[in-house]
Amino acid sequence: MTPRIRRFGLPLLTASLLALATACGGGADGGGTAAESSAQPGEKIKLTIGLFGDFGFKPLYEEYKKTRPNIEIVENVTQFNDHHSNLVKRLATNAGAGDIEAVEVGYISTFTAQPGKFTDLKQYGLDKRQADYLDWKWQQGLSKDGSQVLGLGTDVGGLAMCYRKDLFKKAGLPDEREEVSALWPTWEDYIATGKKFAAADVAGAKFVDSPGEIFRAMVNQAPAGLYDAQDNIIVASNPDVKKAWDLSNQLTQEGLTAKLAAFSPPWNTGFAKGSFATIICPAWMTGFIQEQAKDSAGKWDIATVPGGSGNSGGSHLMVPKQSKHPKEAAELIDFLTSKENQAKVFKEEGTFPSIPALYDDPSIQNFTKPFFGDAPIGKIYSDAAKALKPQHLGPKEGDVRVAIGNGLGRVEQGKQTPDEAWAQVLEDVKKIK
Amino acid sequence: MRLRYLTLIAVAFFSAFPLYYSVVVASRHNSALAQVPPPLLPGGNFLANVSRVFDTVPFGLALLNSFVVAGSISVAVMFFSTLAGFAFAKLRFRGRNAMLVITVATMMVPAQLGIIPLYMLMVKLEWTGTTYALIVPALVNAFGVFFMTQYLSRALPNELLEAGRVDGCSTWGLFWHVVLPAARPAAAVLGMLTFMSAWNDYFWPLVVLTPDNPTVQVALSTLASGYVNDYVLGLAGTAIGTLPLVAVFALFGRQIIGGIMQGAVKG
Amino acid sequence: MRHTLDVRVSPYAYVAPFFLLFCAFGLFPLVYTAWVSLHEWTLLSETQEFVGLGNYTTLLADSYFWNATFNTLSIGVLSTVPQLALAIWLAHLLNRRLRFQTLFRVALLLPNVTSVVAVVVIFSQLFGRDFGIINWMLSWFGAGHIDWAAGTASSHVALSVMIMWRWTGYNALIFLAAMQAVPRELYEAATLDGASNLTQLRRITIPMIRPTIIFVVIVSTIGAMQVIAEPMLFGQSSGGGGGIATGGPDRQFQTLALFVYEQGFANSTFDFGYASAASWLMFVAVVLVAGINFLITRRVKGGLV
Repeated sequence: MTPRIRRFGLPLLTASLLALATACGGGADGGGTAAESSAQPGEKIKLTIGLFGDFGFKPLYEEYKKTRPNIEIVENVTQFNDHHSNLVKRLATNAGAGDIEAVEVGYISTFTAQPGKFTDLKQYGLDKRQADYLDWKWQQGLSKDGSQVLGLGTDVGGLAMCYRKDLFKKAGLPDEREEVSALWPTWEDYIATGKKFAAADVAGAKFVDSPGEIFRAMVNQAPAGLYDAQDNIIVASNPDVKKAWDLSNQLTQEGLTAKLAAFSPPWNTGFAKGSFATIICPAWMTGFIQEQAKDSAGKWDIATVPGGSGNSGGSHLMVPKQSKHPKEAAELIDFLTSKENQAKVFKEEGTFPSIPALYDDPSIQNFTKPFFGDAPIGKIYSDAAKALKPQHLGPKEGDVRVAIGNGLGRVEQGKQTPDEAWAQVLEDVKKIK
Repeated sequence: MRLRYLTLIAVAFFSAFPLYYSVVVASRHNSALAQVPPPLLPGGNFLANVSRVFDTVPFGLALLNSFVVAGSISVAVMFFSTLAGFAFAKLRFRGRNAMLVITVATMMVPAQLGIIPLYMLMVKLEWTGTTYALIVPALVNAFGVFFMTQYLSRALPNELLEAGRVDGCSTWGLFWHVVLPAARPAAAVLGMLTFMSAWNDYFWPLVVLTPDNPTVQVALSTLASGYVNDYVLGLAGTAIGTLPLVAVFALFGRQIIGGIMQGAVKG
Repeated sequence: MRHTLDVRVSPYAYVAPFFLLFCAFGLFPLVYTAWVSLHEWTLLSETQEFVGLGNYTTLLADSYFWNATFNTLSIGVLSTVPQLALAIWLAHLLNRRLRFQTLFRVALLLPNVTSVVAVVVIFSQLFGRDFGIINWMLSWFGAGHIDWAAGTASSHVALSVMIMWRWTGYNALIFLAAMQAVPRELYEAATLDGASNLTQLRRITIPMIRPTIIFVVIVSTIGAMQVIAEPMLFGQSSGGGGGIATGGPDRQFQTLALFVYEQGFANSTFDFGYASAASWLMFVAVVLVAGINFLITRRVKGGLV
């Protein structure tokens, strides 16, 4: 027994363990502050790009590397909500953010409100891209005072309505896309069509998935939505919001919804089962349906959306100040959002370009998708994007939507009358700072 | 006796079912989730889905990271908890009860409470994105200390310690020669439980790591991300992220369980 | 002399690693959070304004906070009480010479090994409104179509089942480890005296493993008060809608931890001051509930150590 030696063993062990951990702890690229490019020509540079889904960029990286062999690109994909909240944390602590971060339109004002955390892409000459873009999409990527270019747009979500041909046929409704579009010039007509569909009592199928996305679309069609131009929340005073609310609840009260909240697993199942006959269809949704309901190829088709065009979704790419390679990151953004590449991504993934010059390009105009019964999706979404009236988005869009979505949900679950739910929505919205 | 077996078999069935079911779904197409009645036998796509998992995320690295993290945490927790548990259970010193109460109280701190300050600390130490950020804060925990305290106070007879003292053991000698062997069964259980909770830790790794250097849970969250809910991919990831753990228990379960049996110290 | 020093000093050295690491990675965040809770402090703002107890008074008047407290207690009781009773009973069943002993024990641990993501995805399917197996089985008995996630009581039951499923085996093994330390002779003597199985459990096992029971009760209480992953993932995967952290559109299953998460991380405000205040009140609630449970369990006779 050698108790004396061992007695001192433990503190020593602890100390050395900590020392070891500290000594080995380096090597992470945290704590970066300086926003300057240190790269020498020919030096290997690793760019990380943080996304919240498949943006269809992977083939583009390969192409990019051919001309820039010294650039390595690492794509980090995180779940939608985690992506945005992690980005906030990483900006607040000045560490851990990627060289490029994607930001969805619901969050863009949150981030452009902190210009100090992002690189002004003007420094790297990207203000030259302004001429390419839809004006409102370009504006969304600017700092609040308009002096800095913080993000470049990827896609826009022009609206259309996807519907199940087979279910429409079963319900005795017309099923050709022009005829279907003619059924619903307005949302009131849409609801009337829904009632006819319900009256036909197609087994296992409701008219629409849930009122949430319909509400979003209706608000997006209005000249002003949840915010006025001065960033005041106008939910309580904007008659268009109240009208959208009433119409959405009418869907519920007429029993037209399948009560399946978007992006939940039962909603996915609903796709496969044909539990709903129509779904609001921003351009990116077409890629989703195709991926999610592989077995229903040819059953879906696309008609115009009731009530005129609007935008739902779409993203920007931004370069956090903490990036060590802002110049290279800016160059990559320039490449990924170029006219040609936005066109490529659209054809693969369905996310629709934010570059209007493409809208009349024959390769887009004539583009069809067999999955949607050869629907001319290029033309449909070009028309939608051209007709689109820009709407001002405020810094807390996401929170206001959640509050209203919860209200619609309470009505859907039979917990409250529309009036009670509306009163609570207004209370909730008031609390949003 | 037969009832005992039937009960245990039923419990084993319910315990294993969700894991089994995730293997079933992982071996099929996404459309399987919509089938009624649901499919109960594995299909033929398991390997294809698994290779999709490895194509989508660095899953090999994730498995390695998870093993390193969970392994080092378990060893450290077993050791430090036994040490502190011994002191709390069997040694007399000023402030012992107060310290024990503080230890228990620290368990009540909600984990989410400290995430931002802890994250800032990791930034200062330049540990974000590395597994140190997961390992070092978890080297000890109050649960382990309390667990070993409770176990040793009951299972370690004072006579044994007194006999050790009479033989001339120092405190450290007692710990090494008397306490550690007696603590083995509980330490094994503690190690196993710690390993599992470290393996399944979800929130903190998600915050502090990036998807290019993930643990299994971070990789799983990546798999389940995006506009497209690819549940087959997610559950395939779950299956191959869990099965190594199950295999380890199946192989070493006897030793661990055997340890518990031996540990029936006569009090 | 050396002996005295050893006896006096070494206990502190033995508990030191725990306390040192705890101070760095447990206490510092705790104290810092307390400081933050006294400010109007969002993650995005550059400046922080001292508001004293302002966040706390707002919080005490916030009906969503009290709703979350109620939900936490309700889910806590529904999940913990049956879970611990079942765990003791299972441990008792296993505390015998049995064939396939190892197999059963490994099986008990499987739920805890299974990733929580998979657990919730699968259970959400089982509890599905339209195509769920549970509703399908209930329909044999003429019971209708339950929208599990929609109702307050039904969602609490569903979540409690998930939590129970995950933790019962874990606790059973902890009880089992303690039961193994109970001298066999006691059971042998009791069997000779003709005591039934149940009597042996009540008269021998439970009193002998009381410290472990106290331990498990406290740990489970703390765990139950901090439940977050299950309601959060259930909200996302049940199809009932609602925000990512609101626990259903009517907040019918938003727990305290989820409320904190909503305020601090899920809102685009990232209201860290308010979330910190809520964390601190939650901490107080956990201490209260755990303390009460401790006193109750202790009254059954016996001490902490």
